[in-house]
Amino acid sequence: MTRPDPPAGATPTPAASPDVLPVLRERLLDIPEAKFVEVVRLLEHVRDHPDVRQTFATIRPRLSRVRPARRPTLKRILCMPFEDVLETLDGVDVPLGRIERRVIEPVWRIVRERADAAQLAALERAVQGLDAANRNGLLNVGGRLWPLAAAALHGALDGDGDRRLLWTGFGGDEALAAQARSVAHILEIGSIVESLKAELSPRPVPALGEGHVAAIEQAAQAAARLSPKTVYYLLLIAASRLAAPAGLLDVLNDLDLGRANREQPALFAQLSGLVVANLEERTARMDGPAAGATSPDEAVDIALRLIQGLDTTSAVMDHRNETAYRERLAAVRGAVRTMLDETVIRTAPRGVLDAIALIDGDGTGLTRDDEAQTAAEDHARALRRCEALADSLEMRHTLEKAIAGLGAGLTKRANALVAAYPRLVRRAPDPETAELSLFYALRLVELVAGPIQAEELRRATMAMLAQISGDEP
Amino acid sequence: MLKGSVEYAPSTFEERGAAVAFTTPLLSQTRVRRGERSRLEVLIPSLSEGLGIYVVAWKAVPEMVGMTMHDRYLHELIVKQEECSPQEIRSATLRAARRGLAGPEAVKAARQALEEEEEQRTLTNYLLLMSVLKAVGLESADVLKAGLDTDEGQRLTRQLMARAAAALRMEPNLLYARLAQIADTVAPVGLAQSPKPGRLLRGLMELKGFKSSIEDWSNEAMSEAAPVAAFCAEVAQHTVAIGDAVLGNLHRRVAAIGQILRDWDAEMAEIRRLAARIAWLLDGWDHIAKAWEMAMERDDRHAQSMVVNELFRIIPLVPRLESDRDLSGEAERVAAVHRRSVRAFEDWRTGRMDVDAIRRIEMLKAKAA
Repeated sequence: MTRPDPPAGATPTPAASPDVLPVLRERLLDIPEAKFVEVVRLLEHVRDHPDVRQTFATIRPRLSRVRPARRPTLKRILCMPFEDVLETLDGVDVPLGRIERRVIEPVWRIVRERADAAQLAALERAVQGLDAANRNGLLNVGGRLWPLAAAALHGALDGDGDRRLLWTGFGGDEALAAQARSVAHILEIGSIVESLKAELSPRPVPALGEGHVAAIEQAAQAAARLSPKTVYYLLLIAASRLAAPAGLLDVLNDLDLGRANREQPALFAQLSGLVVANLEERTARMDGPAAGATSPDEAVDIALRLIQGLDTTSAVMDHRNETAYRERLAAVRGAVRTMLDETVIRTAPRGVLDAIALIDGDGTGLTRDDEAQTAAEDHARALRRCEALADSLEMRHTLEKAIAGLGAGLTKRANALVAAYPRLVRRAPDPETAELSLFYALRLVELVAGPIQAEELRRATMAMLAQISGDEP
Repeated sequence: MLKGSVEYAPSTFEERGAAVAFTTPLLSQTRVRRGERSRLEVLIPSLSEGLGIYVVAWKAVPEMVGMTMHDRYLHELIVKQEECSPQEIRSATLRAARRGLAGPEAVKAARQALEEEEEQRTLTNYLLLMSVLKAVGLESADVLKAGLDTDEGQRLTRQLMARAAAALRMEPNLLYARLAQIADTVAPVGLAQSPKPGRLLRGLMELKGFKSSIEDWSNEAMSEAAPVAAFCAEVAQHTVAIGDAVLGNLHRRVAAIGQILRDWDAEMAEIRRLAARIAWLLDGWDHIAKAWEMAMERDDRHAQSMVVNELFRIIPLVPRLESDRDLSGEAERVAAVHRRSVRAFEDWRTGRMDVDAIRRIEMLKAKAA
């Protein structure tokens, strides 16, 4: 195995030596953030080494979270225009019009093989020494690379009559080849996309303002002048930068798309279908392999994101009298309701109520378990957060009944604990821990039954504790 | 009960009041002070747009606002306190947190904070002891070698301190007691030679970090909140400048240990004044610095803009008599120009319990303890 030469000026350090990487790989997930960024910077210099590539694969989740500035490469610059529609590294959320990461390698291979070698070499030289923070520099290189790459890709894909490329480049995966074609269209308008992204920043844009709409219109017209086919991809990227992509559908029919004006109805249908399909795909992920591991809190987060998109989409479809998607949207709504019911509501007695020890005849010892308490509080909060979704999901009655039942159960157990406390505390090894278990129980009552009920119990508890210690309450 | 919105341009720290780490969103970081006839009042900022505050009689607060159970307990503890300084409020806050009413994380943080305070007090006392020995020309190398926490170290220290007390013409017990008093007063800041900064010195360093971070954000962010963030950075910088000067003065005075012991009453009064001034100056900033740090951990500029506006609402402006700048006037101008950005506080009359907001405040509370 040959080791790549270190670049001039690079300081050899143990962290940069690929030999030690298999050992250090896991540790990179735990070291402090500043150190992590530094190690990534050093590893970037030897990134072609197989061990280093493996290391990057291991630390990818942390990379996506920390996002250290990575050394620019031509491949990274190539991906800039379609990064918003690339699948997320953790795979938890699904972007609109998702392009899979595995398409990058075959696309890059085609570009390297088919694009003009001299031009690529010139661009390689231009990217050397370019700083990741130098956005203008990146855009300059991109402005030359993207049309070159788009032409190479189109040439290869259009000329694949005998489907050889489909098999040699994409392993016979038609969906992957179709995604490569989408990439080619986006690259055609790479510079326009980048200008639009600057206008639609920071991502996600909570709601479309007048300035945003004007920028989208202008960009769409520019894209239509190049090729009307690219307008769909431009709108796709614009929608993907919005908190609720359906917001774009609401203004789409009022946009002047220039040469693509005639395509407007088709574009609306295409994007509507995509938005709804995206909601369905995100909903389907709820039943995936990781579904069982979803905590109540995460389940509510997922539901809130989905319902925001769902409500906006439903409103747009109703406004446009589009009935075609009504059933599919209702199915998405039903799936979200089921997920919350199964993950948050029905599990609440076990997840919340059981955190307060049942006082039996012999008297159970007063214990304190911070982790169990935190989990129970998170579950209780998730239950209360469902209130914000109750009307949209038509589950208000079920939810209120569940909260009332749980609140009554918690109050009953907390009362029993307070009543038994003077007897139980004598056996408790640590009075402070015993007292904490009381107040932890009251917190659960507060979260579920509300502060008024909890306050009554607190006063009774303080009076009881004062009596035990002989102090004034 | 509710006196209505009034202009808020406090002249002194006492008039500005001490920030209380309540967990009820409406009351978070509201300030409490002794008003007319020494009655407690709470100052609730900006229920509506602008910089006005509501002055509410302390006893009336639980009737007006749907408070969390933790806050009702903290409210009871504060009523029982004689003073209303940041130190007293902090001690009540840690007591409430230790009971578990703000959740397991706050319990852990409060315990840790109390342990650290005790350690810092012991360390400061030890360093002062070494200073006294040095001041009277005695060598403490043997004590260091034996270790202060060993029997031999203790014996040597007692011997040396007896000689130091004789040199200072004091009873050894009085010398010990006075050093303990200095340590109690100065430990929250820490001595200049201390290997570990005290809580307030750490707070001053964090404030410097906050200033740089929010200033960078205001320069880079394409947000309506950018000028508001720039103002927050300016207030932080102004506070840091005063804080650095007071800190330098305090450290200089404490370094002259012989002078303190010779002119005890006057010197100690000045040291107490300087230490209290640092505590007042930094009061409320720990919450702000941590809130900003948490906002910066999320890659969401919109959420960061919202946090900027929230911080502006509670930013601790240096009172008029403590500064040569009219920060209240400047804040009013910022609020007037950026009214659209500085949003009104949510309707407090609805009284709904926002479990998400309470959770965020509790997390912050645990971090800032």
